[in-house]
Amino acid sequence: MSIVNLLGNWSDFRQQHPSDEHKHLEYKWAMSIDLDACTGCNACSVACYAENNLPVVGKEKFSHGHSHHWMRIERYWDNDGREFADQGAQFLPMLCQQCESAPCETVCPVGATNHTADGLNSQNYHRCVGSRYCNANCPYKVRYFNWYDYPTTENVWPEPMRQQLNPDATVRGKGVMEKCTFCLQRLRAAQSTARTEGRSVRDGEVQTACQQVCPTGAITFGNLVDPEAKVGKQWMQQQVELNKDKQVKDTAEHASKLRGYRVLEELRTYPSVMYLEQLRESAI
Amino acid sequence: MIENSFNRRDFMRVLGWGGATVALSGCGNTSVEDGKEFVTSYVEAADYVIPSIGTYFNTTCAQCDAGCGIMGRVREGRVLKLEGNPTSSINKGKTCGLGQAGVQAHYNPDRVREPLLRNGSKGETITWEKALELIKDKIGVGAGEVAFLTGGVSGHTKVLLKNYLDALGSGHHYAYEAVSPAIIRAANKKAYGVEMPRLRLDKAKVIVSFGADFLGAWVSPVHFAQQYARFRKNAKGERGVLVQIESKMTLTGANADRWLAVRPGTEGILALGLINGLAAAGLSVPKDVLDLIRSYTISRVSKDTGVSTEHMDKLIALLRARSPSLVIAGSAAEGYAHGSQNAAAINLLNKVLGNVGKTVEPPSAISFPQITPTTGSRSALQALNDSMAQGKVKVLFSYGANPVFTAPITMKLKENMKKVPFKVAFAHYMDETAVEADLVLPLNSAMEDWSTSVPEYVAEGAQLNIQQPLMEKLYPGTLGMGDILLALLKQRRPDEYKGYEDFYSYLRGAMVSIKGTLGKASESDDTFWDGALSHGVVKLKDTPISLANKVFSGNLALPAPFAEDGGYPLHLIPAVSASLRDGRNANEPWLQESPDPLTTIVWDSWVEVHPKTAAKLGIVEGDIVEVASKSGAIKAQVYVFPGIHPDVISVPLGYGHEAMGRYAKGVGANVFRMLDPIFDKETGELAMHETRVKITKAGQRVIIVKDEGPAGGNQMGRKIAVRMSSEKANISKEV
Repeated sequence: MSIVNLLGNWSDFRQQHPSDEHKHLEYKWAMSIDLDACTGCNACSVACYAENNLPVVGKEKFSHGHSHHWMRIERYWDNDGREFADQGAQFLPMLCQQCESAPCETVCPVGATNHTADGLNSQNYHRCVGSRYCNANCPYKVRYFNWYDYPTTENVWPEPMRQQLNPDATVRGKGVMEKCTFCLQRLRAAQSTARTEGRSVRDGEVQTACQQVCPTGAITFGNLVDPEAKVGKQWMQQQVELNKDKQVKDTAEHASKLRGYRVLEELRTYPSVMYLEQLRESAI
Repeated sequence: MIENSFNRRDFMRVLGWGGATVALSGCGNTSVEDGKEFVTSYVEAADYVIPSIGTYFNTTCAQCDAGCGIMGRVREGRVLKLEGNPTSSINKGKTCGLGQAGVQAHYNPDRVREPLLRNGSKGETITWEKALELIKDKIGVGAGEVAFLTGGVSGHTKVLLKNYLDALGSGHHYAYEAVSPAIIRAANKKAYGVEMPRLRLDKAKVIVSFGADFLGAWVSPVHFAQQYARFRKNAKGERGVLVQIESKMTLTGANADRWLAVRPGTEGILALGLINGLAAAGLSVPKDVLDLIRSYTISRVSKDTGVSTEHMDKLIALLRARSPSLVIAGSAAEGYAHGSQNAAAINLLNKVLGNVGKTVEPPSAISFPQITPTTGSRSALQALNDSMAQGKVKVLFSYGANPVFTAPITMKLKENMKKVPFKVAFAHYMDETAVEADLVLPLNSAMEDWSTSVPEYVAEGAQLNIQQPLMEKLYPGTLGMGDILLALLKQRRPDEYKGYEDFYSYLRGAMVSIKGTLGKASESDDTFWDGALSHGVVKLKDTPISLANKVFSGNLALPAPFAEDGGYPLHLIPAVSASLRDGRNANEPWLQESPDPLTTIVWDSWVEVHPKTAAKLGIVEGDIVEVASKSGAIKAQVYVFPGIHPDVISVPLGYGHEAMGRYAKGVGANVFRMLDPIFDKETGELAMHETRVKITKAGQRVIIVKDEGPAGGNQMGRKIAVRMSSEKANISKEV
């Protein structure tokens, strides 16, 4: 790959993802997470372990930052200077933001991570050579590297625990990068069924594991192209546009009462996950 | 089953075998486990086994006592993943992280696989026939009682258990839960006439929770979390306000609009102070209540509780302005020697606010009293312990409880158990209690077993939960509790029970016999039974119980706030975590690696200390400290935490197993052991929050293993998790 090619590709990439000229045709998977409904209970995270064959690495490897929680709950305090965190915590479920212009994709030397037609940031485990550049370039820190061969590591999946592994998802070996796939195996199954029946996937027909388990229903997931999809209606109502790096509503002259925002969108990553701000009552 | 090397091809082979095992084991063929490889074509697959297609079967979650309906995805004969059962009114298709880990209880590598009989310090494998015969012999010898220790029980297991104890004549049932709202139940019974009224969080505009962690570990968290979502955003687009009052922040406290740190033990005083303020603000309060609260002025209460007058005034104004509200007394309020009074004062506040009938609704009575839940208490263990100490117990059965792990050291339970000549543990793991037993009988996992249960807290109407096997037993040597009880009953009343080949036939017969009273008389037995299994729940006829109307029955005396104890200056709050609870789930690695929501710590215990207290004691994060009470001591790492009262430290329960399995053993410290023997004066329950401690540096310092980064909870000026004031948002217009 010559440097000219590389720059050309880069420029094409920045042009294409996302823009009005290159619309998503049938699917654009996206999510919204209501932080006022999220209680930080961690059910989504455990459900992700169950669905996606995530290894339990144990205390020592966890301390080295080798944990594999594709979905993790970040907890922040904002009691700046006050004696107690008397307005509670701020929880944020952090997962791969499936950026439309993903910083991880451009740095992969072998093209193992790239964009799918339905707007997912995919990771090809077979192609991955383990350079970890993608991880270094991800501003959300949601890529997880297999430092060990977990399937053969003691007490990760001892017999008979390996019988629980989901055959629809892979088990990754040593030396590859992995991350949230928006439960790709579920999407592909639903898309396949829909295609057989000559239609598109209906809203609500497919759920991600984290969405399905969430006790407060904080997570909404669906197809942004589908005008009937709840997730698209939420994005529209919150005036969050996929292909903007600064939303019109956030400019001073349009200061609004809307809660929708995307994490670090000023980095021009165009994330596919919208968060709704947490609320706190001022009367108390 | 497979050698150590595990590659893709092996993985694919396992997939094939899973289904083949199911198909074969029913026909008496050798399974893969014996080392012989039979591969059967899927042309001959068992019912519902379609290669690569998952089928969902409904059953009931057994990870805690909430009784959520779940459905297990079964593919090629193996259960893979659990989801919530949408037809269950309790959890309506949702689960918690603990529920998700149910498959790890089932596939756990440390499960007991065969009956074991003690021989010296070792367990020898024996057959079930011999084991049951041995029980019969031991019960036949000598005088003394047969003690049956269980957790909370209900459903047909309870029926068989009662019949067995009746048949023995000398049997005693002790229902014990190490972590249970037993004091709240008693206080509710007095205030509302029922132990657990239905709480309608979704109807409340303001919730004032005195330490009830209803989003984390209290009573029925998944149900309450769903109500909470509707409380935060109701059909009209209004948002409810949550105020949490406690000394140590729980998960619910972390979601509160205002978290108020209260001096430990003064929750009741605060409740009476709020009534005083409400009366002054014009709320009509009965005369006898007025007499009671007269001395609880805002300024005095503020001084006693440490809650500022400003916050009290705001809360009073809020409660006056927005109605209905809901006041909940939770485990933080009940954990004191005056826990009953605390709870009574809090319930009084709820009643004075007129919430009964609005956000506090009557539960339903079930028309079959023999299957209603028997809830456990800590005083039951005390009673058993006394019996054992006096040498009155000749045979002890232990099922669904791990008292050697959860009993405080001052009870000397382990020593007293040695006075019992024959101890039988029904166990999933070789836990601390099973290790002490003479006979260990391995149980089926919840994914392999038949049973029915009635949860203590049912959201709508009355329902019976059905637990059915989702796959073949992993080990031929395990047995279901129902089957064991049936076999024991056959020893006593052979004529009555010989018609039942197994527990399944008993259960089916019992269920089919009541179909008439459920309004299903026209259905054939098969249709009725299949319907019950396919739904996973059976709606029972229910009759609402009326709640007590009287606001106050005139007997409430709260003690003055605690006096300082120079030797033991800090209060210890043993925290109940949503994942580990009383420790029974500690051997499920997903839960050990699931960070604690508030501290983000994994795989260890920790001591939460307020920054001010830490500074005073010269302690920083990661210091190993010794936490010593009058009864015992533990060592653990310090986590400096802004959600705790400076006079309080908190250590989570459920850690510190000395046995049980590879993921639980040696992880953290067991705080149950060091609790002081102080009891609630009215109910005799162990007062969990009464223990006073001192902490001293043990010299070592570690880097805490946690998810949180070096910036702690600080966003470093970046817009990551954003918060806005609720009056700025307009959620009624949201999609």
